[in-house]
Amino acid sequence: MASPAVVDISRWQFAVTAVFHMSFPALTVGLSLFLAVMYTVYLRTGNPLYLQIFRFWKKIFAVGFGLGVVAGTVMTFEFGLNWGRYAHAVGPILGVTIGMEVITAFFLEAGFIGIMLYGDGRVRPRTMAFACWMLVVGTLLSTTWILSANSWMQDPTGFAEVGDQFRASDWWQVLFNPAFSYRYPHILLAVLISAAWFIGGIAAWYLVKQRALPFARRTLSIALGVLAVLMPVQLYAGDLTAVFMGAHQPAKLEAFEGNWKSDNNGYNLLVVPDTDKGENTFQVAIPHLGAVIGKDLSGKAHVPGLLQTPEDERPDMWSVFYGFRAMYFTALAMFGMAFAGLVLRLRGRLYTARRFHRLMVWMAPAGVVAISGGWITAEAGRQPWVVYGLIRTSDAVSHLSLGAAIAGLTGFVTVYALLLGLWIRYIVRTVRTGPEHLVTDAGTTVHATEIGHA
Amino acid sequence: MLEYASYALVLLALGAYVLLDGYDLGIGILSLFDRSDQRRKEYNELIATAWDANESWLILAGVALWAGLPGVYATVLPGVYLPLIVMLLALVLRGTAIELQSAAPGYRRGWGLVFGISSLVATVCQGLVVGGVLSGLPHRGGVFTGSTWDWLTPYSVLCALGMVAVYLLAGAAWLQDKTTGTAHERAGRLGRPLILAVAVAGLVLGFGLRFADPQHLGFDQPLRATLFGLAVAVAVVCAATAWYGFGRRPDWRPFAAVAGTEAAGLLALVAATAPVVVPPDLTVHAAAGPHGSQLFLLIGVGGCMPVVLAYNLYAWWVFRGKFARPPAHTDPAGPPDTGAAAERSVPAAPAAGDGPWAAVAARRVLLTLLAVAVAAVSQDVFGGVRVWIGPVGVALFAMTALAGWIRSDRRSAAAGEFDLQAADK
Repeated sequence: MASPAVVDISRWQFAVTAVFHMSFPALTVGLSLFLAVMYTVYLRTGNPLYLQIFRFWKKIFAVGFGLGVVAGTVMTFEFGLNWGRYAHAVGPILGVTIGMEVITAFFLEAGFIGIMLYGDGRVRPRTMAFACWMLVVGTLLSTTWILSANSWMQDPTGFAEVGDQFRASDWWQVLFNPAFSYRYPHILLAVLISAAWFIGGIAAWYLVKQRALPFARRTLSIALGVLAVLMPVQLYAGDLTAVFMGAHQPAKLEAFEGNWKSDNNGYNLLVVPDTDKGENTFQVAIPHLGAVIGKDLSGKAHVPGLLQTPEDERPDMWSVFYGFRAMYFTALAMFGMAFAGLVLRLRGRLYTARRFHRLMVWMAPAGVVAISGGWITAEAGRQPWVVYGLIRTSDAVSHLSLGAAIAGLTGFVTVYALLLGLWIRYIVRTVRTGPEHLVTDAGTTVHATEIGHA
Repeated sequence: MLEYASYALVLLALGAYVLLDGYDLGIGILSLFDRSDQRRKEYNELIATAWDANESWLILAGVALWAGLPGVYATVLPGVYLPLIVMLLALVLRGTAIELQSAAPGYRRGWGLVFGISSLVATVCQGLVVGGVLSGLPHRGGVFTGSTWDWLTPYSVLCALGMVAVYLLAGAAWLQDKTTGTAHERAGRLGRPLILAVAVAGLVLGFGLRFADPQHLGFDQPLRATLFGLAVAVAVVCAATAWYGFGRRPDWRPFAAVAGTEAAGLLALVAATAPVVVPPDLTVHAAAGPHGSQLFLLIGVGGCMPVVLAYNLYAWWVFRGKFARPPAHTDPAGPPDTGAAAERSVPAAPAAGDGPWAAVAARRVLLTLLAVAVAAVSQDVFGGVRVWIGPVGVALFAMTALAGWIRSDRRSAAAGEFDLQAADK
């Protein structure tokens, strides 16, 4: 048995690296689709505006994608570094799933990103478009495999336990487990939405500053269009996921509703849980709303509490409750903004509503915040299990000395904090510089191949 | 037999990684010793098109090991915890440095330094990992049981030095192939001393293996001895070809020869140690995953591999030949105010249509209620009451939003709000 300190440190290390890694795909999956569509539209219409959009976002995409790749490389090895016993037990199942991700998706992305970023002037525009679309396929495949692997840990099916290892008895059930069918649409919508907020927020900044106006209007319009369509669908998909998870992992639902005893019909806004006593020392709740959300419109049904779960199987209420609140309240704000955007648009004032633009700028990171919150809810809510109901996290950790584990965590936190700062500074600088001019003084358009490397 | 196929897959990925990322790590280290900013920028750009694809092989090696030989994965990774973490952190910083350097217009000394140093650190750590594994790691039941510093042995330190020499050689060979001018001449001059260094490293590490490796190396078996001898002979021939090829045309020859040397060297190592993967006694048989998993992995990966190789070759072909400096960046969109002047003179949309205060307030309250209703329906709050409203209602809202969006977008386009040329003038 490893010491509890090593388990905690390893958990922190995994949480930090996973949330950090996740925030890059959260933007780049949607951005790759956006870039591919923009380049294709440019090819079909020849309108330089779309080339300008493509060039500008390509710069942000390039660095974000690179950071996502290196952070992902770390994840591949972390399963074995700190979680050697877990790696040994689930290698025959999850190793294969992630192996398939690497061979089908990772190589595809890596092979075509070079062409997409540096191919201008070397390949024909059609080949460029092809590379862009291959990148989209790669990022989507990647999301699919990773979600499949993670969902299996949430709700394992299709396996047999042989000795201390898990073996697949039915690969179809392993890959397309029930949790996957709920969580996959949810996360797919989430990554598209978070990219749309990011794009929309930056476009709004140009509108506030009155710069690069056609560029800003066009991208804001696309981003808000996507959001107006996807936000209601996402709220629905998220609700389905929550209902499914509530049925399969009751402790997670209990923790994110923030109740201990099952005698409350309200909806908790704030809680200060006391884990040792099993009660909230402070709590702000809206009466009856919890029951209404639980599909009892009379508002009387009681919301189940965490005391129903045996003590050694309870997740940490702090992280699950506030992770969920971060996701859900950001989602409501996003929904409201998308709705307001649609109303403004129908009234023809989308490009003149100053206050709305300022709010939009603040909403730029909203999607990433919501995804991080959701990820924390899903992963912390699964505790104390690493594979739900089968392997406890404390039994999964490697044989490590405390010093090595602390050194690892310190290294990651330092480097990642530095990277986060650099990434934000890079975005700010790129946005300040603005999109490049593509129209010469004579009014003729410069074409892709003549400009070359961008 | 399947476990040997998994082992072969791991070796293939590792070999490809050592060859491909080896040359770009080597170029990174070389950039530390180059005084010309222009050349250092050139080295970075040369790598920027390919490092991502090169590093993918490391990831493949990692997951193939996890899926195919979970016993090795779970023993080696905790066993070489510190050098592996430092290597990963170095690779993270290196990727960041390459991307940010490539995105910046000129040469940034700081990023160049990070690029060079992290390349060196990653290489040294890889050598320490290999040397640490070859020196043996204690384990039981597929799980590492040793202590934190087990990987630090004299042999692993020698391995780290050897790794630096090998990567530098590959880097120099790649530079001869891809560059012209002074960088090309430098690469040609560096080649032969580096081959000597690699040869010395090979001899020291080869003889040192007998003492470092806690298992009994069975060179008395004729098959093993023959294979080992053959691999060493091929390595020597390839190294001699590289010796001849440095500084001479055709420019691709040194790199091809170095590739041959590296592959033969890896095979010699495998011939000496197989079937043991982690000395003294963890064999491929003991470490292998169950039959079904390996079969799935091998069919999946094997089926995809030709496609992967095909587009990797295509990407390589796109950037074939000598590296050409990309044309200078086009100017960004000037000072903040250009193009905005005309826009500013147009007054903001008139306030007409807003009506009196009460009407505005009433409209906003109604709209807020409508938004709450839409949110409630998409949340399926009424799902327990009327089942049909869920998916149908949500689809209805999404379609309405889409229709509204398309209509307004067309109107904006017709009004010239997206007209780049008009705004630019």
